[in-house]
Amino acid sequence: MNIRKPDGRPIEPMRQPGYYPGYSTLSQQKFWDAKTREVVLARVSNVPPIRFFSADQARTMEVICAHIIPQDDRDPAYRIPILPGIDDRLWNKRHDGYRFEDMPDDGEAFRLGLRAIDEIAQHLHGALFVDIGWREQDLILESLHHGKPAAGHEIWQRMNVSRFWLMLVQDCVEVYYAHPWAWDEIGYGGPAYPRAYMRLEGGLPEPWEVDEQRYDWLAPEDTVSDKYELVAGEESHYGSPGQGGTH
Amino acid sequence: MKRPLLGQFEAPRNGSHWLGPIQRLPQPMRRFPEGETVDYVIVGVGAGGGVLSQRLSRAGFRVIGFDAGPFWDSERDWVSDEAGSHPLYWEELRITGGQHPLAFGANNSGRGVGGSTVHWAAFTPRLHPSDFRLRSQDGVAVDWPISYADIKRYYELMELEMPVSGPAWFPWGDPHGYAYGPHPMGGVGDILIKGCTKLGIRVSAGGPVGILEGSHGDRPHCIYRGFCIQGCKVGAKASTLITHVPDAIRNGAEIRPNCMVSRIHLGADRRVTGVSYFDPNGKERFQKARAVIVSGYSIETPRLLFNSACPGFENGLANSSDCVGRYLMAQAGNVVLGRFDELIRMYKAPPAHCMTEEFYETDPKRDFVRGFAIQSVGPLPIAFAKQMMKAKGAWGWGMRRIGMDYNHWASIAVLGELLPNAENRVQLSEVKDALGLPVAKVTFNLYDNDQKLIAFARKKTEEVMWAAGAKEVVQEARYAHLVGAARMGDDPETSVVDRYGRTHDIANLFICDGSIMPTQGSANPGLTIQALAARTADYLISQGEAIFSSNKRDMTPPPVRRELAPPETWGKGAPRLK
Repeated sequence: MNIRKPDGRPIEPMRQPGYYPGYSTLSQQKFWDAKTREVVLARVSNVPPIRFFSADQARTMEVICAHIIPQDDRDPAYRIPILPGIDDRLWNKRHDGYRFEDMPDDGEAFRLGLRAIDEIAQHLHGALFVDIGWREQDLILESLHHGKPAAGHEIWQRMNVSRFWLMLVQDCVEVYYAHPWAWDEIGYGGPAYPRAYMRLEGGLPEPWEVDEQRYDWLAPEDTVSDKYELVAGEESHYGSPGQGGTH
Repeated sequence: MKRPLLGQFEAPRNGSHWLGPIQRLPQPMRRFPEGETVDYVIVGVGAGGGVLSQRLSRAGFRVIGFDAGPFWDSERDWVSDEAGSHPLYWEELRITGGQHPLAFGANNSGRGVGGSTVHWAAFTPRLHPSDFRLRSQDGVAVDWPISYADIKRYYELMELEMPVSGPAWFPWGDPHGYAYGPHPMGGVGDILIKGCTKLGIRVSAGGPVGILEGSHGDRPHCIYRGFCIQGCKVGAKASTLITHVPDAIRNGAEIRPNCMVSRIHLGADRRVTGVSYFDPNGKERFQKARAVIVSGYSIETPRLLFNSACPGFENGLANSSDCVGRYLMAQAGNVVLGRFDELIRMYKAPPAHCMTEEFYETDPKRDFVRGFAIQSVGPLPIAFAKQMMKAKGAWGWGMRRIGMDYNHWASIAVLGELLPNAENRVQLSEVKDALGLPVAKVTFNLYDNDQKLIAFARKKTEEVMWAAGAKEVVQEARYAHLVGAARMGDDPETSVVDRYGRTHDIANLFICDGSIMPTQGSANPGLTIQALAARTADYLISQGEAIFSSNKRDMTPPPVRRELAPPETWGKGAPRLK
């Protein structure tokens, strides 16, 4: 299901959604330093294989990622692979530097979480998560967001549901917003060494950046995720996933 | 444009080790032969260890600085990229718990030579004189064993050694000015100034921040690319990797990277004899030293002391007070984000360039003691998305929508003082790391004064954001920095080290990093840690050979040895402090 114009007519998938048409960070790569170029280009062209998740788990995770970072507005050839980045982190046991005492190891948490999600789907719909409708899937994930899963309680006793949900969302956004196509979508300038930024004030674009051209859009009809409610209704998730530090 | 003025588009071809686009690591570096006893082993070459190794080697001591992580080559190792910067952070496992658990890794922990100064935002405010007297003045926590006057000259020194850019007049605490001029404003700083000005709040523009606004020696000026927290490839942001370690090497210090110190050894005479460490190949080795200084920061320093437990110190080396690991602190770091109709583009300019300390001191009209600062921050897209996940509960299409609005948001943050508590602590976990060493387990809770301070600070920061013209304001609860867990004091019953960083229990074992701070104020700790390190160095140099042979404690204050500053730093600039 695709996004729509405010009058309800569909918007066709685009090579580059967002409000900065024609903007391309990759077009500037010759002005980046060599190491940055190497790391960013590898991210685009060398998508890691799935090694941590089993085939069944990967199938479920693919669907979950497509709910957490939906990309139906993107031309299929320009969708950003999310799952390989998460699998790669877990396969290489790359922690963020800590684990909550009420959480198992990150990898174990994913395996348990996938089992619990299937238990919820079985409990509510008598089928596996991947075999139920999109809206029903969205609602199950929303129940994790609210901290109120309908089943899998034996697992949620071993693992804090909100911490699991935050880790899942964090892992998805970490992969998506690391990709230069996502930078183009949101109008982020990207690497700027050694060339520098010069227009620091007033939101003005650099010569190679473009100005914003907004359009209004509605999320697909079968989703419940285009709204903002705090995770488990709480403002104070201290210690929830690290964020690259701000200060 | 094939040959940019500063910096390189292509990978460096020659064998130089680059510290920024111009500066190179002095070669060759001294290597002490295996089996040789050195004067000082320093464990951790970060804010504290970097300055110490520079001072001690310049004074002629034989020094080895160990670091668990790499000796960074900024051109070959660092990237202008959020996701690619994980190697800069200490991401080894730690277990975190309590009612309000701390996050580690990118939030507050560095790895590799330079330590956290490689990825700090480089705000460099001083502590206020009141910060040293919480017990006397506010009836909470403890007084420091030293006063502001004891550290003031070291603040002045470090502000020139980094050097710090800032306004000619900084009105809070002990008012002072900066020799190097302030930075131009970015979009976020403009918002903070606008909001504060509307509310009649004084605000400091363009610093104080340890980032060059003009070129300095073999370091270029800032290019405003916004990747301070991902390591400054430009060489404009001060880190001990580029400000002090090169001078240490020129003066004969050895830095041993990729070597994890696993244990400090105690001899029969209750003096330490050296350290065990895992070399880069994972082989355990022993390095003899006449004195050991632990500079591993607030988690790894207590962890190493616990892992060095031995007969006579069953609860951890130098821990007869049971204070090792206790009184761990983080600062309140609530981030307040505001959406504006106009574009901000907050990824440009250093995140740290504008701040106010108007609410720093205790105000009897409030229902809590101590206070907070408000500072500019500049999350890049991944950090922004994670903030929105918590601040707004964004996921799915809501996340995509807010991501597309990234350039309309500005973010400023609370930096608030949380009080030390004995139950906020580091212990050892049952879990072991890849080397077989037990990892740290951290417990953290917020108490009554902390909760009231956070609620007030958050509200005030939100008021500033609204006053700046935001159309929507949200916030994310989080922490910033770490200090404490091996605090200094005059009483060996209630503190781990004395006023010079010497452990009360062992005469030739020292601690010199953020962990010795008894309280933290609302200032970013990096400047204070480096100032304390320079002061400890002056003490060690004054004591000379006595450190290596005597158990007697001479508490005579040392003279300030400005001549030991790296060349071309002290005595430059105006005000020309003498």
